[in-house]
Amino acid sequence: MRDKMKLKIGVHGLTSCYGCQLKMASIKELLEVVERFDIEYWYMASSKGEIKHVDVAFVEGSVSTAEDEKELKKIRENADILVAIGSCAIHGGVQGMLIGEEYKEIFEEIYGKYEMDFEGRIGEPIKNYVDVDYFLPGCPPEEEEVVYYLACFALGSYPEEKDYPVCSECRRNGYPCILIEKGEMCLGPLTVAGCNARCPSHNVACIGCRGPLPYNIAWFDSLAKTFKEKGFSKEDVRKRMEIFGKQYEKMDEMIEKVFEDEGGETDQE
Amino acid sequence: MKVERQIRNDHLARIEGKAGVVVEIGEEVKAKITVTEGPRFFEMITRNKHYEDAAAICPRICSFCSIPHKLTPLEAIENALEIEVTEQTKQLRNMLYFGNMVESHALHLYLFAIPDYLGFPDAFSMAKEYPDLMKNGMELKNFGAMVQNILGGREIHPENAVVGGFGKLPNQQDMENIKKAAEKVKEAAIATVDFFAEYEYPSYVNMPRNHLAIKPYEGYGVYGEEIVASDGFSFHVSSYKEHIKEEVVPYSFAKMGKYKDSPFMVGALSRLVLNKDLMDGTAKELVTSYEKFLKAENSFANNFSQAIEIVYFTEKIMEMAENIKIKEEKRVMPEKHDGKGYAVTEAPRGLLIYEVDIQNDIVKYMNVITPTAMFLPMMELDAKKMAEGMWNDGYKDIDLVGKKVEMVIRAYDPCISCSVHVIKL
Repeated sequence: MRDKMKLKIGVHGLTSCYGCQLKMASIKELLEVVERFDIEYWYMASSKGEIKHVDVAFVEGSVSTAEDEKELKKIRENADILVAIGSCAIHGGVQGMLIGEEYKEIFEEIYGKYEMDFEGRIGEPIKNYVDVDYFLPGCPPEEEEVVYYLACFALGSYPEEKDYPVCSECRRNGYPCILIEKGEMCLGPLTVAGCNARCPSHNVACIGCRGPLPYNIAWFDSLAKTFKEKGFSKEDVRKRMEIFGKQYEKMDEMIEKVFEDEGGETDQE
Repeated sequence: MKVERQIRNDHLARIEGKAGVVVEIGEEVKAKITVTEGPRFFEMITRNKHYEDAAAICPRICSFCSIPHKLTPLEAIENALEIEVTEQTKQLRNMLYFGNMVESHALHLYLFAIPDYLGFPDAFSMAKEYPDLMKNGMELKNFGAMVQNILGGREIHPENAVVGGFGKLPNQQDMENIKKAAEKVKEAAIATVDFFAEYEYPSYVNMPRNHLAIKPYEGYGVYGEEIVASDGFSFHVSSYKEHIKEEVVPYSFAKMGKYKDSPFMVGALSRLVLNKDLMDGTAKELVTSYEKFLKAENSFANNFSQAIEIVYFTEKIMEMAENIKIKEEKRVMPEKHDGKGYAVTEAPRGLLIYEVDIQNDIVKYMNVITPTAMFLPMMELDAKKMAEGMWNDGYKDIDLVGKKVEMVIRAYDPCISCSVHVIKL
């Protein structure tokens, strides 16, 4: 008999590295956690394979084929709540760097002389195709974040997304600032928090894998200004941010603001 | 060909990535592995990036083998820029790599493969009836993850491994913790071998196979530069394009690797077939006493081989963690800014080759050949042999044949995300 109190969940993968699903499967107390849910569908982990109604569906990966789109729409139709999990689903992922003519040329160059049975597409965030209720960032997300989202839904509550940068976690932990002290391009000021400043804690500059901050709320007034002071150009910042955020709609605004003068005028390069 | 019966499964579950299988039965039997995972063009998106950024992008090819997809490009980059890393870096990288072997094999065997053996749709339903067995799997997985967390900075996408060394070095206490954890999971590792040493392999897929593996620098290790084949031939990684060719087929976004124009195998079975004499310790004893399970001609032996490797790599991690004395040292930074480099390592699923061309610190060309792209044609052949053998033997239950076909595919532990990265050679 089905336990009516248990939340029904589905876990789905579009085009990605499967790291978000692996992260979910790697939860240390996995067996205890899955006990609390009815797992109706888990693309990677189970051969029970039919998309049907669930309370919450997690989707990782970008839409990169016509099949991805079809599947995503079916998932949406059957889910009360849809969560985009990871950088691919939220921003298109690293494969989302190839867009426009460049994508077409490259696809043509590699598969062009063959009659392929499928169509390849630019890797796009899933919100371009369906309504998304929640975003769970990370590449991959941290274990605590996955558990937090699951727990919120299980309790009938909803998760709060982070609206502050990696820098704030880095400062709180007291790690040496890589941007100031080493002059390396650390994307901490512009990247959404949640990793507890994992890379800076290892003395490695943030590459922005969790994606640009939402709501246009980077630390423009403090650390973000340091890029200019350290001699980086707009293009330098853009190039690094584009690795994980090429399709971010507010990229131009964000970069302009990072290089804005105190008086509000943009920097002349 | 008039197709009498067709087996079609568009969703091969319990593998990494998105693939399906189609078997057509008529006068003859045909099998196709369809890879529908979208292409991700890693060789293109790493182009024109600083080598450090390119190396950070590569792990995103695949989460299960994100450690090999970091450490192999790092080595290629270091070869290109003539960076000689320290002995300690080499050792810690080995340990990190071995941790990935343990986790990847444990995930594959317990989450993906064993449910087939015991007749469950997934590991979660299996765990209810076999809690102790699953507990072993989870312990091994957690152990591998711990090693990767400590040394890689993260178990998936290890940002702590960087060109020239590590961002942050582990301390002696970390090593002590790793050693203790390894001791604790040793029994679970041995139990995994015992589990697989109880099953007979379906003889339908018996056939002569060419195996390829690395000639390790040290012991039964994962680093080397020479590739050896079971036909007696060997070649240096820099000439890989002459010996391993990739082809495109219309029904798949993955390329299909051929060695001397024929399908070939890489992975745990191939490594054991070619290098088992380089093993030592408990794994060596086990592989000797269970030798009849190490069948070069049968792909199901790959699962047994993975189990043996879990024991070997766990024990090696334990030894290394016990003997290493961590000393403070800095990353080795390159003096050169240009160069071409190659690297080959043994990823959990087999040979992984990277080639890189750097000009003025910028990656101008990168090429990757993954194990799954190499063994796909052999896997297809096995799917065909399995269906054909069962059909001719009188099994007309298409569902049953389909299940067995899936099982032989899963024995390879295919990594579909890895296979769809391709660039024209």
